[in-house]
Amino acid sequence: MRNTAPMFGRFRYGYVAPAVLLVAGLLYAPFVWTAYLSLTRYDGLEPPAFVGLANFAKLFQDEALLTSTRNTLIWVIGTMVLPVGLGLLVAVLSYDIKGGAWYRVPFMLPYALSGAGLAMVWSPILSHDGIANLLLGVDTAFLQDAPANTFAMLAVWTWQQLGVNTLLFVVGLQSIPKEPIEAARLDGAAGWRLFRHVIWPLMRPLTAVVVGLALVAGLKTFDIVWVLTQGGPGRNSETLAVTMYKETFVASDYGYGSAVAVMLTVVTGLASYLYLKRQVTAT
Amino acid sequence: MFRSRVATLGVAALVLTACGGNSAEAPQKKTELTLYNDKGAWTKYFDEMGALSKQRIGLGMKPTGYTDSAQYQAFIKASFRTKVKPDLFTWQTGGMLAEVVKQKQVAETTAIWQEAIKAGDLSQDLLPYYTVGGKQYCVPMNVAYWGMFYNKKIFDKYGLKPPQTWDDLVATAETLKKNGVKAFYHTSVLFSFVWFEQLLAGTDPDLYDRLSTGKAKYTDPGVVQVMERWKQLIDAGYFINPGDKTDPGDVLKNGKAAMVSFGSWFNTSMTTRDMKAGTDYDFFVIPNVNPALPKTSMIFESGPLCSLTKADDPDASQKYLKWWTSAEAQEKWATSRGDVSANPKVTIGDKALGTVTKDAGGGKYRLVNRYFEATPPPVLTAALDGFSKFVTEPDSYKEVLETIQKAADEYWSTHQ
Repeated sequence: MRNTAPMFGRFRYGYVAPAVLLVAGLLYAPFVWTAYLSLTRYDGLEPPAFVGLANFAKLFQDEALLTSTRNTLIWVIGTMVLPVGLGLLVAVLSYDIKGGAWYRVPFMLPYALSGAGLAMVWSPILSHDGIANLLLGVDTAFLQDAPANTFAMLAVWTWQQLGVNTLLFVVGLQSIPKEPIEAARLDGAAGWRLFRHVIWPLMRPLTAVVVGLALVAGLKTFDIVWVLTQGGPGRNSETLAVTMYKETFVASDYGYGSAVAVMLTVVTGLASYLYLKRQVTAT
Repeated sequence: MFRSRVATLGVAALVLTACGGNSAEAPQKKTELTLYNDKGAWTKYFDEMGALSKQRIGLGMKPTGYTDSAQYQAFIKASFRTKVKPDLFTWQTGGMLAEVVKQKQVAETTAIWQEAIKAGDLSQDLLPYYTVGGKQYCVPMNVAYWGMFYNKKIFDKYGLKPPQTWDDLVATAETLKKNGVKAFYHTSVLFSFVWFEQLLAGTDPDLYDRLSTGKAKYTDPGVVQVMERWKQLIDAGYFINPGDKTDPGDVLKNGKAAMVSFGSWFNTSMTTRDMKAGTDYDFFVIPNVNPALPKTSMIFESGPLCSLTKADDPDASQKYLKWWTSAEAQEKWATSRGDVSANPKVTIGDKALGTVTKDAGGGKYRLVNRYFEATPPPVLTAALDGFSKFVTEPDSYKEVLETIQKAADEYWSTHQ
């Protein structure tokens, strides 16, 4: 034991090196490179030319970015309210009844689809002569006018995400200790009061995780928008992630696209930090 | 401590060696070339060309087709800096070609052009599209003349004939509208520029040229009038919904719109849908808006097939490009897709397209470079977004033109 410990100690860097190199090479290096590109003018061909903070200054004057920020905000709030809120509702209504799992199955099915697959399925449904207009008996261009098109896509997103949130809440509800609930029932609490004052506070750690995930998912919304509208018509349904992609790969403005990426990273990091900090302090 | 650092360095060196490669590679002799392209739908036709070239010049070709052009362009640009070497790749003429030539990434083809022109395999008219700084690069992968494809059954049903004047075209649209048929296809995705270029080229082709070279502004009265004319056509109810995701080939086949304006390559969409030229559909040249113009303006495009300067086997790539321009190769390439050819010796099977090619070769039309190639990439991006907005909100045309002009100002301030 005395001999092996120092040996292990001497080589300890060697043992972790592969993991460190992988993380550094695949996660940190691209981020540092993106951060560097955000300070340059770069079209993917000519060598990057340093321009200081010019790309960040442009962020504040770009009307298209204002639209993507508005849309991203709708996505963040919408994602936290709809899939999470409705997921909680379905979980609460179904977890304590006989055969509740069967009621939840239909909500789970769409979760099997990928974001891009989801959009492919809904594209013909929401198109101008699609089945949505036919069923509702209206003639609406769901994916055309802003911000209605973002709400339409949010509805599709809710359809997919509802199930997994329901599942998480059901797990949360089942893991709550029975004693405080029974004690509350004995004290006469039931229905909304029981939920609001006993169940909800007990589920707080799980809710923090679900809402936190929804927050990040909302901020990085890309695939569904890209497949359904490509951020259009014009640029009216772009989210920050779509703007980042379009500026970088469609307009070949790698510098500005990277600036959007850095901004998105900072916003996501900050929002997650503030949210989690608040949750930790509260519990 | 020292040993552990040595160990770390050792692992790092191993990983880096595994990632790296042998930098001094000897040139290889290739028997099969890779052809990267953004025409994923044409893989079958590229494969047929590969089989033919293998048989004729002992050099096979394997296509890798992308369907998303942004992804494709990013890949090609990245390949310039990496060891991934497409032997051949498709690109775009205009500003995009100049960009990659400037980077010395594209192999020169001046000798191929000279020989081909001498042999009558390529026309002198095409030369300017492939010339950067006095030298030629790439060869024509395809050429296309733009006009109107129309559903002949619908035209016959309402006794309509291909229009000879602009007023005829509008009258045709009006007749169709009265019979509950949408006259024209347009879209808010990618091809949102089609009607802009057509209306501008047919009204004032000189203004079109000045606009693409930064000598005119998008806010000039001539351009504003074109947008107003476009808006009138939209407001009149002649167009289908621009957000309709139906494939334009199906739009025409199903009669969702009676007319679809595209390049002659759209003929492939017709033939793959088992539609017969002259019976199910046909093609006409779109008349000028301004009848006083001496020649009918016709949108023309040509997509290049290029090879890399740093290709593994530059001789093989050049040999392939040379063969590609030959009548034998072009006959196959044009016939299999039912399209026109860059080689004047090739007989075009489709009657209407054959006539257009012959007339265009005889100087009947004023050929106008397609907007997609004629416009510098950053201005194009803003314009495609702008026209996409306009087709869904026609009232926004002034705002749209101002936004495009802003991008143009930014670009031309450093590129005049």
